[in-house]
Amino acid sequence: MLTYLFRRVLWLIPVLFTVSLVTFVIMRNTPGSPWDVGSETKRALDPSTQKALEQYYGLNKPAWRQFVAYVAGDFDAKGKFVCGMICGNLGPSYRVRGRTVQNIIFAAPPPNKIGEKTSAWDSRFGYSARLGLLALTIAIVLGIPIGIITALNQNTFWDYVGLFLATAGISVPSFVMGIFMIIIFAVWLHLISVIPDNWKDPRVWILPAMVLGFNTMAFTARLTRSAMLEVLRQDYIRTARSKGLAERAVVLRHMLKNALIPVVTILGPALAGLVTGSFIIETMFSVPGMGREYVRSIFNRDYSMIMGTTVVYALLVALANLSVDFVYVLIDPRIRLEE
Amino acid sequence: MRKQFALLSVLVLASMVLAACGGAAPTTAPAQPAQPQVIVVTATPGPTEAPAAKEAVLRINLGTYPDTIDPQKSSFVNEIAHLKLMYEGLTKFNEKLETVPGSAESWKYNADATVLTFQIRSGLKYSDGSLLNAARFAYSLKRNIDPATAGEYGSITDDILNAAEWRSGAHLDGSPACAAKDGTCTDDEKKAFEDGLGIKASHADGSDCKADDSGSTYADADCLQLTLTLSHPAPYFHTIMGIWVAFPAKQENIEAGGEIWWTSPVYQVGNGPFIWDVGEPFVKGDFSPNPNYWGDKPTYKLEYRYITDSAVAFEAYKNNELDIVPSAAEDLDTINADADLKAQHMVYAGACTLVFKYGLAGVYKDPSGKEYESPFKDPKVREAFAYAFDAEGYAKNVDSGLSTPTWTWIPPGFPGYSADSPMKYDPDAAKAALAASTYGGPDKLNALGMKLTFGDSPRNRARSEYLAANFKEVLGVDFTLDPIEATTFTAITKDPKTFPLFARQGWCADYPDQQNWLSVYWKSTTTFAQRQGYVNLDFDKLTEQADKELDPAKRADLYKQAQDLLLKDFPSAFGYNTANHYLVKPWVKGILTTPQDSDWPGSFGVANITIDTSMIP
Repeated sequence: MLTYLFRRVLWLIPVLFTVSLVTFVIMRNTPGSPWDVGSETKRALDPSTQKALEQYYGLNKPAWRQFVAYVAGDFDAKGKFVCGMICGNLGPSYRVRGRTVQNIIFAAPPPNKIGEKTSAWDSRFGYSARLGLLALTIAIVLGIPIGIITALNQNTFWDYVGLFLATAGISVPSFVMGIFMIIIFAVWLHLISVIPDNWKDPRVWILPAMVLGFNTMAFTARLTRSAMLEVLRQDYIRTARSKGLAERAVVLRHMLKNALIPVVTILGPALAGLVTGSFIIETMFSVPGMGREYVRSIFNRDYSMIMGTTVVYALLVALANLSVDFVYVLIDPRIRLEE
Repeated sequence: MRKQFALLSVLVLASMVLAACGGAAPTTAPAQPAQPQVIVVTATPGPTEAPAAKEAVLRINLGTYPDTIDPQKSSFVNEIAHLKLMYEGLTKFNEKLETVPGSAESWKYNADATVLTFQIRSGLKYSDGSLLNAARFAYSLKRNIDPATAGEYGSITDDILNAAEWRSGAHLDGSPACAAKDGTCTDDEKKAFEDGLGIKASHADGSDCKADDSGSTYADADCLQLTLTLSHPAPYFHTIMGIWVAFPAKQENIEAGGEIWWTSPVYQVGNGPFIWDVGEPFVKGDFSPNPNYWGDKPTYKLEYRYITDSAVAFEAYKNNELDIVPSAAEDLDTINADADLKAQHMVYAGACTLVFKYGLAGVYKDPSGKEYESPFKDPKVREAFAYAFDAEGYAKNVDSGLSTPTWTWIPPGFPGYSADSPMKYDPDAAKAALAASTYGGPDKLNALGMKLTFGDSPRNRARSEYLAANFKEVLGVDFTLDPIEATTFTAITKDPKTFPLFARQGWCADYPDQQNWLSVYWKSTTTFAQRQGYVNLDFDKLTEQADKELDPAKRADLYKQAQDLLLKDFPSAFGYNTANHYLVKPWVKGILTTPQDSDWPGSFGVANITIDTSMIP
């Protein structure tokens, strides 16, 4: 298993390199630059200032050298070598002057008072990761039971209720659901505030996590239901029942375990998607996560930020898929990673 | 199975804990500058005391969280909205947009307006109690000019002697000004440039400020005179000293905090009416009155929120969670249908003029691929399209009444505004002008297959559709809509060769002076005119004369002549002025607005505002 793990981790290198290269090529071939951002009434950047900024960011160098500098590193104006992505340096942000991408995404917020300590959980990634994990938990805790119940009660009232929820979760856009939830729970019922005042209060996480996780929950429920229905008609289930096993044991031990493989398969990438943040949910619920940053960076032509967030996302997807492969082994003993 | 359930339960609990936790994995705050210790004593009400009165807090939605809050690097409205609270320049603007004393109690020009001398108020203090003298302002201005700062408004202080030379000479590859191959200056070269700048802090008699043991002059209480030597007569320069680039951020804080000093309230120690207490990036910023501010102090705390979804901000406003929010066009029907909301809707003139600029130097292709030059080189074609544009219909139908049609360049409320204009919506005059042009009518123009290029967004699409229909109806000229990605649109407008045939662009005032509207934007040497390919040498001469004129009346007259000349030349189809539109809660009293309050109403006169807490539900 260790050899397998080692091999898979080694595979991450070409994967991340390819993702970086493709992103870089697309990004650089898109018209516009970080200096073209702004409204139609904005003061034009002075040519000499633009030149200074291009020099500062290395944009005056050939494209291939910029890419090499981003991935491996380069010498700065003072002759000092600055290591690149391979050392965890995702480069300086073009829009947020003075800050590196890793600082923006992962660093704790600045202190408000002398000596104040701030937590990395309050970084932009920290917020997205916490919200994503909570959303995934909600998706699993609700999605799998709904799938089981609807499958076991096929074509009954409960099946229709479950299917309605699952269909709604898949088809209703999150921005529609989000604003409805805000109006119902904050404006009508006054159970929460529209704009969260304190993210240390666990209650403010519930609504965004519900809305964020609803789509994954619906997908999980539908997948669980279809997988359960398929397993339900297998001979070994009939055998288990004929042996006189309790229905609970049949469902949980024999049916669910076999039906979980496809569910686990989608939950890996879903986890990566959820923890890296959602532009819509973060915008709507004012979550200071990294999902907003990703989209904003594209409009801003913030090259380093686009590269950095893409690489982080790719890394998380790769790690999530790797984790899924390990979970397969736990669920189904017939699967061996060495094979 | 029990194990699986247990695992699941642990997962749920762990997520909840993760979500709520904030104290794990602490990181230590960076090195702090020396500051006097402030002890906050919170009174705890006793059991017999009456319930505490509601605290006066003004809660404002600012929208996007700023990319920087550095006085010498900021350029966007949301960034400046922070700086205006924490800092104050040498001058400032009143509700009539007149330039009035700020941290400087007076200023004077020499006979030919090439030397400007400020007298700083005596006894000024930063919010931490430390002394504020002329040397602090000198540092800020030098920092704004320093090419290493590379601020977007670095060029706005180019009127200072040798400022433009330092800024440009230091960057240009192979520039003789700096020896290093990459254009950066050595320390000696930098010092030579810095010493050559026309910026000097001194005592009132002109003698040098006294340095302490560390070589700093910041502790010299008599260092209250700031003399700016300008490279040419610039009688408007005292007005520029009222904007954010001259705000005196503390050198030691900038150096201690490094490039990200501006992110922390610890380093943002200013001389403005407020102190930044708490900054939660992308969530909120809390400000309280600065007890050391020299002028009238605000009587309330202020809170900025960064809600970018206008629908959410609107709900928060209705739920009494915000006191001031910008009203969105899509909410106007709801606002107008509700008597209370309608009464709370504040609409006042804005600081921008938007026009539809003709591409004058571009090369375009007709449907067969043949290249053609801009038809707008013909003044009669320009005139035809200017008369054909129905600005009132545009403001009403496209901008939902949130903009005001204009036929002139400088908007109402600004020095130099004049309603006189040869332009107007006149379909007959438009047709006549087109008939008199070298094209003789719409057919030859239609054969060119002209495109209406715009940065794609739902609003811009509606704008362009209106424009195309407008020109078709009045002139019979067809335009093909050509939406492109917004940043790409900005990129193509930077080159005269690719500048679109028609581009919606404009100007928002940096400071209230005609020079900022006319000389900075339309003079043929400016970036804006060059990109469009606009040249009017007579206009150039008039503005150059006006820029140097010391007599205010003569100066105003010269600018008026320049504006009249500009309008008669039809460089664009004009256009409309923006309006500022906000919802303001009834308990927020005393708001005085200026067209430049585009961040929030009353931001130029924070001390006038009061919060009637008895009205808050």
